[in-house]
Amino acid sequence: MADKPKVAICWLGGCGGCDEAVVDINEVLLRVANATDLVLWPVALDFKYDHIEAMSDGEIVLSIINGNVRNSDQEEIAKLLRKKSQLVLAFGACACFGGTPGLANFTTKEDIFNWVYRDAPTVVNPEGKYPQPKSRVNGKELTLPKFYEHVFALNQVINVDYYLPGCPPPPYLVMNAVSAVLEGKLPPKGSTLSPRRALCDTCPRNKTKPSRIALRDIKRIHEVEADPDSCFLAQGILCLGAATRGGCGESCISINIPCRGCFGPVDGVVDSGAKFLSALASIIDAEDDEEMKKVIDKIDDPAGYCYRFSLPVSLLRGKRS
Amino acid sequence: MSSYEPKLVCFSCKFGWGYLNTEEALAKQIKNWVPIICSGKVDSSHILTAFRQGADGVLILGCRGGDCHYQDGNYEAKKRVYLLHKVLESYGIESERLRIELSIDPEGNKIPQLVKEMSDRIAKLGPVKKVGEPAKAVAVV
Ligand code: SF4
Ligand code: SF4
Repeated sequence: MADKPKVAICWLGGCGGCDEAVVDINEVLLRVANATDLVLWPVALDFKYDHIEAMSDGEIVLSIINGNVRNSDQEEIAKLLRKKSQLVLAFGACACFGGTPGLANFTTKEDIFNWVYRDAPTVVNPEGKYPQPKSRVNGKELTLPKFYEHVFALNQVINVDYYLPGCPPPPYLVMNAVSAVLEGKLPPKGSTLSPRRALCDTCPRNKTKPSRIALRDIKRIHEVEADPDSCFLAQGILCLGAATRGGCGESCISINIPCRGCFGPVDGVVDSGAKFLSALASIIDAEDDEEMKKVIDKIDDPAGYCYRFSLPVSLLRGKRS
Repeated sequence: MSSYEPKLVCFSCKFGWGYLNTEEALAKQIKNWVPIICSGKVDSSHILTAFRQGADGVLILGCRGGDCHYQDGNYEAKKRVYLLHKVLESYGIESERLRIELSIDPEGNKIPQLVKEMSDRIAKLGPVKKVGEPAKAVAVV
C-alpha cells in the first residue's frame, strides 16, 4: 500500500455528474483502485479532510478535481489539495471553465440572494433572514462558507496542471487520462487531455454543410423536427461545434441535439464564445438592416448560448455591477 | 466626474478613412487608434479584449454600404456589432459603448471628431464597471 501512488478525487461546485463519470469507467475503476491508493473521494468513500491535512506536501501524486469555486469552503479544499499534490487535473467543464453554474456570473450575488431568500414565489421568510457567514445560536457561534461574488474556474484559484473537459468527460478520455498518469506518459503541463481540433472536424454531419451558409431564420431545437443527418447550422439551429474542442464522441449530435460547447475552446483560443459570435454573425443573411435585426432578435439570450459552459473564463468574465 | 475622460478604442478601415492623410499625422490626434484593412477584420474577440483591457467604448469606422473593397466586410462588421450589443448588455456593459459608422472620409478629419462625440456621450455613462477579481492562485508544489 505504501508504494502505491496516492490519488484524490474531489468535488467542489459540481453536480456529482463528474464523479459519476469516474464510476462510468466500470471495471477499469477496479484496476485503478488496485494500482493506486485512493486517499479522498467524498462522493464514494468516507475519508476526512484531516487525513489530507496531515499529509506532507506533494504526497498525493494526482488530485482529480471537479466542480468550480464559488465559496470559501471550495477554495480552501482546492488550495489544500494543490499543496498536497504533485499534479492537479481539472476534471469536467465546471472545473475547466466554470461550467453551467458559471452562468450565474450574468447575475449578481445580491440578485441571487434576493431571489432565493426573498422573491421566489415559494419563499416564506417574514423576518427577512439571509444566511450569514457567522451567526450566534444559543450562545454558540455557527459558521457557513462565504458565498463569493462570482463563480471561478479552478485555475482562477489554484494552478492546474491538466484539463479534461466535458459535461461530464466521456469514459474513454477518463481512462486515457488515468493511464497516462499511471504510466507516466503525460503531455506537457497545461495540456488539455482531449483532441485539439474543433468538433466539426469529426462530426459526421460536416459533409452536409454547404460551403456558404446563409441563415434567414434561426430556430431552437425544440421548435422543429431536426433532420437527423444534416448539419444543424445549415438547418438554422445553433450548434457550437465550430468553436468547440472535439473529443466528446459526438454524444449530443448522435441523439440529434446540437453542440452546446461543454468541451470549451480549441487550442490557442481563449474565448470560444467570441469566436462563435463572429462565426454566427457571418452566416446571418438579410436584405437590409431591419431584416438583419429581425433574424438576430430571434436568438434567445445569445450571451447565455455562447457562454453556456465558459462564462467565468470568458474575456469579460461576468456581470459588472 | 468632470475630470473623467473615457478611454476609447477606434478601429478604422484604411480604404475609406484617412487614406489621403498620413497615419502619423492622424495618430497624433487620436488616442488608441487602430487603422485596419477592412472593418470586417475586427473580430468579436478584438472588441471584447478592448473592454477587458479597460476600454470604456469601442468605435468602428467602416466603408459605406456597398463600397467594401472585399464585397461585404463592412456588413459583416455591422451584424457582429448588433449581435455584440446584446452580449455586452448581458455583461452589464451598455450597448452605446460599442458603435459602428459606415461612411467615407478620405482626409480622415472626421475621425477625431467622431471619437470626441462618442467620448462625450460615454462620459455621461461613466467608466465601465469592474468585475470582481478572482482569488490569487497558490504556487505549484
Ligand atoms: S461538468 Fe457537468 S457533470 Fe461535471 S460537475 Fe459540472 S455540471 Fe456536473
Ligand atoms: S455545426 Fe454542428 S452539426 Fe454542423 S458539422 Fe459542426 S458539429 Fe456537426
